[in-house]
Amino acid sequence: MPLLGGRFGRRPGAVRGVAALAAGLATVVASAALADDGPRAGPPESSGSAADPAGFIDPLLKAAWEEDGVKPAVPAGDEEYLRRAYLDVIGRIPTVAEAREFLTTKAPDKRARLIDQLLEHVDYPKNFATLWTNLLLGRSRQERNVDRDALTAWLRKQFAADRPWNETVYDLVTASGSNKENGAVNYTIAHLENEAIPLTSRSTRLFLGRQLQCVQCHDHPQNDWKQADFWGINAFYRGIKVEEVRKADASGLERVDHVELSDVPTGAFARFDRRNGMMGVAFPKFIDGRKVANPDKALRRVELGKLVVDPDGDMLAQAMVNRTWAHFMGKGFVNPVDDIGPHNPPALEPLFAKLTEEFHAGGYDVKQLIRWIAASAAYQASSLRPAKKEFPEDELFSVMALRSMSPEQLFDSLLTATAAHRPGGARDDAKRDRWMRQFLFTFGNDEDDETTSFQGTIPQSLMMMNGELMRDALSDKPGSFLTDALRQARRSRRPAAFMVDQLYMAALSRRPSNSEAQALVRYLESHADAMPFLQDLFWALLNSNEFVLIH
Amino acid sequence: MTPPIITPRGMRRRHFLGHMAATTLGIPAACFFANLRGAAAAAAAPGGKRPKSCILLWMSGGPSHLDIWDLKPDSERNGGPFKPIATSAPGVMISEHMPNVAKQMHHLNILRSLDSKEGNHDRGTYLMHTGYVPNPTVVHPGWGSTAAFEIGGRMEDFDLPHCVSINTPGQGAGFLGMSYTPFMVGDPNGQIANLAPPKDVDALRMNRRLQMLSRVENDFIKKRGAAPAVDHKAVYGKTIRMMNSKYKDIFKLDSEPDAVRELYGKHSFGSGCLLARRLVEQGVTYVEVAMGGWDTHADNFETLSTRLLPQLDQGMAALTADLADRGLLDSTLIVWMGEFGRTPRINPNAGRDHWPRCWSIVMGGAGMKSGQVVGATDKDGVDVADRPIGVMDMIATMTKAMGIGMDTQYTTPRGRPLKVVDDGKPIAELVG
Repeated sequence: MPLLGGRFGRRPGAVRGVAALAAGLATVVASAALADDGPRAGPPESSGSAADPAGFIDPLLKAAWEEDGVKPAVPAGDEEYLRRAYLDVIGRIPTVAEAREFLTTKAPDKRARLIDQLLEHVDYPKNFATLWTNLLLGRSRQERNVDRDALTAWLRKQFAADRPWNETVYDLVTASGSNKENGAVNYTIAHLENEAIPLTSRSTRLFLGRQLQCVQCHDHPQNDWKQADFWGINAFYRGIKVEEVRKADASGLERVDHVELSDVPTGAFARFDRRNGMMGVAFPKFIDGRKVANPDKALRRVELGKLVVDPDGDMLAQAMVNRTWAHFMGKGFVNPVDDIGPHNPPALEPLFAKLTEEFHAGGYDVKQLIRWIAASAAYQASSLRPAKKEFPEDELFSVMALRSMSPEQLFDSLLTATAAHRPGGARDDAKRDRWMRQFLFTFGNDEDDETTSFQGTIPQSLMMMNGELMRDALSDKPGSFLTDALRQARRSRRPAAFMVDQLYMAALSRRPSNSEAQALVRYLESHADAMPFLQDLFWALLNSNEFVLIH
Repeated sequence: MTPPIITPRGMRRRHFLGHMAATTLGIPAACFFANLRGAAAAAAAPGGKRPKSCILLWMSGGPSHLDIWDLKPDSERNGGPFKPIATSAPGVMISEHMPNVAKQMHHLNILRSLDSKEGNHDRGTYLMHTGYVPNPTVVHPGWGSTAAFEIGGRMEDFDLPHCVSINTPGQGAGFLGMSYTPFMVGDPNGQIANLAPPKDVDALRMNRRLQMLSRVENDFIKKRGAAPAVDHKAVYGKTIRMMNSKYKDIFKLDSEPDAVRELYGKHSFGSGCLLARRLVEQGVTYVEVAMGGWDTHADNFETLSTRLLPQLDQGMAALTADLADRGLLDSTLIVWMGEFGRTPRINPNAGRDHWPRCWSIVMGGAGMKSGQVVGATDKDGVDVADRPIGVMDMIATMTKAMGIGMDTQYTTPRGRPLKVVDDGKPIAELVG
């Protein structure tokens, strides 16, 4: 039975989410501190309206640019905006039809409408569920007792329903029961080994934006976190029971059907090695120093969940705002995105604070946060650099950063580009996972660290130039993208121009410039067997940095 | 056309652009498959001396130094079951489970008093690879990428990556760019995936594709010029050189005699060591060979004696001996380390936990003095008893051994200076 069941208001201004949550908590929390908070009054004053969703962001951006004498990039053109919005919100480039539809629309608010449309697209929850599954479990985890698909499905539901972020996080931290029925349970199960050290460091990084793991072995050199703070959080992860539930399968063999996660009160504490060789012990204690009143009577994960989503705290909102901003902008106000703290001052501090406050006051509405960011002058800026700058690093988000696609984005985009002619595309997550494994690497240590060899390396270039996926993309077999496009082209009045246009739209979501088009059309018109030439051109477009980068 | 040496003093946008133009536009499109170059510059650099190389043996997870290099048989609490044995270096004792490396210890040195302060895998890995603790304002280049940039980057006409990582992605190159990011060989016993173009794409057709690619992306780069776009192009240049190179077979170990393969061991670490030797022989500046499984929170002694140490002993000993036999040891720095050591205290699961306070690393070759132990821990292994060594001292020692300028300094993308050796002193006993 989920503690925070029920649906709350999700639109901006609907602060019932927070209020209900606080009230809901008050009923189960013994601590008076939380109950005192009570419902928050009234809608926030300066929350962006529907007409001007980023109303509160741009003045702060512009003030910062003026103060620093920064000349921002020109606003992004429709083609540029379209492509990045698709990649960032739904995780792939637009199909030719989707691109043409947006580019030919004249409505003045078409960008805001596009974002709304994408947020309602079935690929939005899918994309964010994939993103968060990767963050919560890592890309490569395939343990026998972790039901990755159940977690992804659970996340998809939360994002599709735009469930307030504090509720989602509360469930992730406290989830119990069957990992098959309650997908959220898998997060905890996945990181329990080694006395839940991985769970401690992942939870504080993902939900609170704090890299507490760096004080696992010593006090923080640049802020006042102590070694005991890490182990204080770690001590919440005691009294957790994991049971394998076996059932006979179809052939009558008994096998593990699912895993059951539950909590029991415990008097256990965490032990750790101090640098002087002595042992330290820690009882449950939150980062801000708050302790659990009766640690040996409480369900500790539930207590931790309450502290994490405590409406008086701002770490939860900060962490999500910073991470989401980074998702859309290439980097956060604070970087690394989960290393917030006094030792690491944010860029654009007033904006970061304001966005955090609005996200908090607006009921942790993730879709609304995305609308705000996508409408901001920073997200609307072109990736074209305004003037020659000595150092290309831009601290103030005045130019859109160039970013490499993630493996998932690249795979899905390649499929979109080359199956654009098929209605519904040809998404295949299982194939994607298999393909991606070649770029994954796990360190096999107690923090579940992993990395990908994907970001623009030689193996990636080889895959793009010579790999199977590219061979499929360039196929000249009946039913392939190129043969279909060629057949369509032959029916048009100017087949060569149509074909060049189609390839550019499919790969780069833009029409070729006049100079690009002229030479290619001339060449095509003078050659009888167009297929090899088209393959080579499509190869070049898909291998270009314009395709591989988000810009 | 050969790529000019980029100035190491600053990585400004103009340099990126210049570098990009030189490495990519000139070479590959014009001569794919057309020209298999002569010997790599490696064999004979100016002055007739072999340029230096480094092989890092990376023990991912944090190796239990007290059971390998710094045994404490007299410590009742912390000693563990392993016995020390004598080695080819007079007075130097190591673990009984390292009998083959024991015969090579006269080539190597043990540093027993490293104090590194980072006990988290991620941060320890970063620290030991870069010399710096993670810092939000800059991504430090891995020291291997720095070496590749300083030494490999000055070579003309070199078709292989200067920085290679085997069994691990290795540390990134930070602002030095993707060209100096380690080329990862995921499985040294396998093939490099996708190295050959599809059968229906001959040299002529590949050239046409590359020319089209140049045409498609030049405008994009010109207008944006930011590192990712330039990098992408530079990496394609490198990739094409490698596809085009006669050295691409260097990655295939089947050409080695079986006796040699047996000597190194056919496990991924042994094969990695053999591949590292082959790469260094061709002039690759930096090769990292990783071996995992060292995070022995439980069953430390069982895991070490039955699985980890036999493989380590075999690969490391074969590599050291082979480099010495081939006259490559004088120009090749061997470094053995992980992200930290392990606790002197043996936990209730017969394991040892993370311990960065005082632990051991090993290095030798590249003209260093050898056969020594530097520094010491106390009887129970919980504190440095003699001559604390910092991570920057280690970096300074490696930098000096490789002949890289001790004052080498870069300008980060934020315009700040960054030294390769920041406040570290080379260990005089090794490179004094």
